[in-house]
Amino acid sequence: MTHGLRVALAASALLFAGPAFAHHGWSGQDEKVSALTGTVVQGVSLAGPHASMKIKVGNEVWDITLAPPARTARSGLAEGLIPVGDTVTVRGNRTTESGRHEMKTIYVRHGAKEYHVYPDRE
Amino acid sequence: MSVPEFLTWLEASPLGVLTRSLGVWSYGIINLVHILGVVMLFGAILLLDLRLLGAWRRIPLATLSGPTTMLARIGFLVAVCSGLPMLAVAATEYADNPFLLIKFPAIALALVNVWLVHRSQAWRAHPVRALMPSEERRLKVGAALSLGFWLTAITAGRMIGYW
Repeated sequence: MTHGLRVALAASALLFAGPAFAHHGWSGQDEKVSALTGTVVQGVSLAGPHASMKIKVGNEVWDITLAPPARTARSGLAEGLIPVGDTVTVRGNRTTESGRHEMKTIYVRHGAKEYHVYPDRE
Repeated sequence: MSVPEFLTWLEASPLGVLTRSLGVWSYGIINLVHILGVVMLFGAILLLDLRLLGAWRRIPLATLSGPTTMLARIGFLVAVCSGLPMLAVAATEYADNPFLLIKFPAIALALVNVWLVHRSQAWRAHPVRALMPSEERRLKVGAALSLGFWLTAITAGRMIGYW
């Protein structure tokens, strides 16, 4: 093996170290699925990397992180569908980070409508 | 303007508003363009830096330096033009992201290194004559720094989403 080839192999090993990580988003979350009921203070946004909304539970505003935009749209959710001020119930995994109010969300219920964002996680 | 102030301004800017309005596939497509830009940039840099560090000595440096430098420049432009809208979509979310604060200084250092290498005697001489050992060493140092800075920038950039 030539010296140059060895250098190249070492460098490519560095490059391929990256994709070994799993897809992000759930590792910093509580394993337990829990529910939150609150008032929408910022409606659904389908701007990536993940769709999101904000709801107020008691005195705390929670970041409700949904699936990537296209997947969230496939669950039936769209921007403007749930008006600000309406009550929703969401289920998902809360962040384990103390002081942060964020949930990676599996499911959203608004009145009689249900949006299953991650059916396979339910 | 502090970093959080800049991020708030960027998110509210016309670029942020426009990018958020482009539909559910926009982020994925912009992300794809960003990756293609980074691939062009780093692929070209890797080739040139490994040559400077001693690989593929049969290929004259002057043959390689032109195309790789041009590809790297185009790749950098593509990465900047796609990276800004990606950041603008939800810039304030990254205010406390440590990887962002590693990535941008690493890019700045990488660019300073490019500037220093390009104005060095060794780089100016390489298309017209054989390099002296001291000049080859100068370019080796530049190549090693280049790989270090760009790999740091790419690693921190990739990790932003995992924080």
